[in-house]
Amino acid sequence: MSEPTMRVRFSVNGAAREVTVEARKTLADVIREDLGLTGTHVGCEHGVCGACTVLVDGDPVRSCLMLGVQAGGSDIVTVEGVAGDGVMHPVQQAFWDSHSFQCGFCTPGFVITAYALLRDKPELTEADVRAELSGNLCRCTGYQSIVNGVLAAAERLQDAGKE
Amino acid sequence: MAQATGAARQVGASVRRAEDPRILTGAGRYVDDIVLPGMLHAAFLRSTYAHARITGVDASAARALPGVVAVYTGDEVRSMTQPIVPGTAVGMHLMPGLKTPTFFALATDKVRFVGDPVALVVAESRYVAEDAIDLIDVEYDPLPPVVDAQQALEGSSAPVFDELGDNVIARYPIAFGDTDAAFAEADRVVGATLAVHRHQMVPMEGRGAIASYDPGPGTLTYYASTQSPHILKLLLGPQLQLAPEQVRVLAGDVGGAFGLKTTVGREDVMLAAASKAVGRPVKWIEDRSEHLSSSGQAREETLDIEAAVTDDGRLLGIRGRLTMDHGAYPGDPFPASAFAGAIVSMMPGPTRLRGLSCDITVVTTNKCSYLAYRGPWATETFVRERLIDIIARELGLDPVAVRLANYIEKGEPARMISGQSLVGVTARESLERAMELMDYEGFRRRQRQAAGEGRYLGLGMATYIEAAPGPRSDDQRASQLMGVEKARISVDDRGHVTIVTRQQPHGQGHETTLAQVAADEMGVPFEHVTVLYGDTDITPFAIVGTGGSRSATLAGGVVLHGARALKKKVLDVAAELLEASPADLTIVDGMVSVVGTPTRGLPLGEVARIAAHEPERLPAELRGDLEVEQDYDGGAGGWSGGTHSCIVEVDAETGQVRIDRYVVVEDCGAMINPAIVEGQVRGGVAQGIGAVLLERSAYDDDGQYVSATFMDYLLPTAMEIPSIEIHHVDTVPLDPDVNFRGVGEGGMIVTPAAVVNAIDDALAPLGATIREQHLPPSRILELIGTIA
Repeated sequence: MSEPTMRVRFSVNGAAREVTVEARKTLADVIREDLGLTGTHVGCEHGVCGACTVLVDGDPVRSCLMLGVQAGGSDIVTVEGVAGDGVMHPVQQAFWDSHSFQCGFCTPGFVITAYALLRDKPELTEADVRAELSGNLCRCTGYQSIVNGVLAAAERLQDAGKE
Repeated sequence: MAQATGAARQVGASVRRAEDPRILTGAGRYVDDIVLPGMLHAAFLRSTYAHARITGVDASAARALPGVVAVYTGDEVRSMTQPIVPGTAVGMHLMPGLKTPTFFALATDKVRFVGDPVALVVAESRYVAEDAIDLIDVEYDPLPPVVDAQQALEGSSAPVFDELGDNVIARYPIAFGDTDAAFAEADRVVGATLAVHRHQMVPMEGRGAIASYDPGPGTLTYYASTQSPHILKLLLGPQLQLAPEQVRVLAGDVGGAFGLKTTVGREDVMLAAASKAVGRPVKWIEDRSEHLSSSGQAREETLDIEAAVTDDGRLLGIRGRLTMDHGAYPGDPFPASAFAGAIVSMMPGPTRLRGLSCDITVVTTNKCSYLAYRGPWATETFVRERLIDIIARELGLDPVAVRLANYIEKGEPARMISGQSLVGVTARESLERAMELMDYEGFRRRQRQAAGEGRYLGLGMATYIEAAPGPRSDDQRASQLMGVEKARISVDDRGHVTIVTRQQPHGQGHETTLAQVAADEMGVPFEHVTVLYGDTDITPFAIVGTGGSRSATLAGGVVLHGARALKKKVLDVAAELLEASPADLTIVDGMVSVVGTPTRGLPLGEVARIAAHEPERLPAELRGDLEVEQDYDGGAGGWSGGTHSCIVEVDAETGQVRIDRYVVVEDCGAMINPAIVEGQVRGGVAQGIGAVLLERSAYDDDGQYVSATFMDYLLPTAMEIPSIEIHHVDTVPLDPDVNFRGVGEGGMIVTPAAVVNAIDDALAPLGATIREQHLPPSRILELIGTIA
């Protein structure tokens, strides 16, 4: 009763990748085990905590709730793909400056969620940020430092746009 | 320019964390990120019954499944491991009045809670291991479950551990001062039964480990998500009958712990034994459901108390009965019973209480183990601060006035009736400042106005003190458990400083804070300090790595003194090389030079290089490594503490509680890194708010666990946690050198009391008095009589 496997091709952080995986394997496990990108974390395996959030064709998704084979042909971005050429993205920089995180386990999910949020909605109030981040759980910080980080990033991206 | 940067003090600044570049880019290394050659994967089969005898286990189908390497059940565990007698390694089993059961890593004869590990499957993948779990057939003969303390205390309840005879695992009295005299002097006695529900720590990374036994040399390398690598080493060695030198525990990034990961789980023991049996590395990563049902839970205490009070609101004495629901298996090395005494001894807090007596009863039930959770004794603050409000209401006095009548004045030579000096406590100042920030009188006017509009606003306050590390006495300094901190600190030929600490950070940012302290003391750039931890082969022994809010004082202090000693060694060597007096030398930005003559100098790295590789240039007494092994006993120590206050509005139609404002006024001594301090405070507040409004580790009447997902066990999100304002009161320095105090647990200790007091204040016009801590909307509606 060996499990059926499938060959899957997709773009991962801008590079073409191909893996052969069990059809039942979650995208989170494919990313971590078959692609070796362990920045994506698995916090609940039932789609609530958001630690495993990645972008699939631009949309933030819970990679624990999606099968790897479902992502065939897609463009995937993980936390490793947010920084460019060794330089942190402004949202990562703002999180660093804002002391946003502590243990770091939820962090990749917040980075991806905030990255997509700032791309889609550059002007944000604190209430917007809190609502948009409410699908990601953090147990360490009480969220304020994370909210501050997103607001700081929004401001910097706006300023950069004006220049 | 560079010198100006180098000379700027790091301590006291919100220096950006050294940990963050890796964490923010996905380059952290948590235990599940590690892959070893030949590594197998494990999954546990867990009991679905709260209490049952195991009459048969058939694992043949699981063993036959392709990809399964081994299945271990209760039949095998007896020969693979040693019996667990929790607490023995650190003497906890010697507590008076405590009974200690003996058990194995897997259930052998019976299961004692939903989630009790019954079998372990080792397979080529986690997926196959979980497939195999489903193929194991266990026959159970159900026993009556013991689901709460009341049932446990009934003589007819089925013993959770047959050999203990009944379900009372610890019973002993504690008494301080003259309680009878306090009651004799009182104008009245106020009674209350106050209950705290079952909490849970819930770090975002659950438990997990890789056991890697190497059959050649007979060594175990254990990669763990832990707060305490050395306790794993201490307990796993004997389980596998290995010498200490044959066990090495490694820990990298740890995704939160909150006390949970000070315990060696039965799963750790089984995993290590499995790796030895199969001769290959075996990884086990807990999933969220088994985490919630099986990792560890906390609190669940009830206090029946009587308070002796005067008509002007002075609290003279407390008599009580503390009942703790300990769950089934005692934690190893810290059984829950160890925390019961601390709940009582900390209960006086900053008050002048004169007598306190309490009968402690700890019971076993068919639930997951009660383990340490951020401020394990926190029920004392809830009880004291709730009690003060109840007293104020009964006497018709203002709750602030009652607190001020009881809290000691700054500088008052007072001791808690349980013994500890209250030197340096600023409880009163924090309360006064909090009320000023809240515009207390103004709030009362707004509250009356709102009441006229049918709206229920409430203001709550609670004050706590925390021994972080507490004022030091000789016996405390001698205590190995928390007392003597050790570190090794050295400088290399790059001029970089390396600290080896026995702390095991899991979010606290020690790579940053300890580097800040060392950078200032040594005169090197912050970026030139590396903090090493998480390897029992190099770190000094510690029963608890990071926990107990003690690292600011103890680790900060050992690094401060160690860096000073190292600097002295460096200057002695440099003085010889520069033909100067050590007293005339300084180190700025990694350059050793003669004060006032910066051209006469040597880079720190060059001094270290000469010391290491050209010792012949130095007189014999100056030869040797530029390395220091430092001990630190905590110096004068001192209290952390503060007051939290919040304003809530309760919707009497829906039972929803909204927190409109949350103010913290705290004192953690001198801050190493204010942003890290504030992060610790806010994180604790969020857990406290979650505990009151959302979170409960719940069992039904059959002992079935009913909060095994994040849809049932509700953690607060960014929507539920308000902005938290943090203010600092002027601290009282007690030590000539080290006045950093711990701040890890305070937020979680005091917040439930502040929030419940606010809700109680809001509901007062509706005639409700709250005597419990978990207040979801349904419970609020029950309390105000909207629903039955």
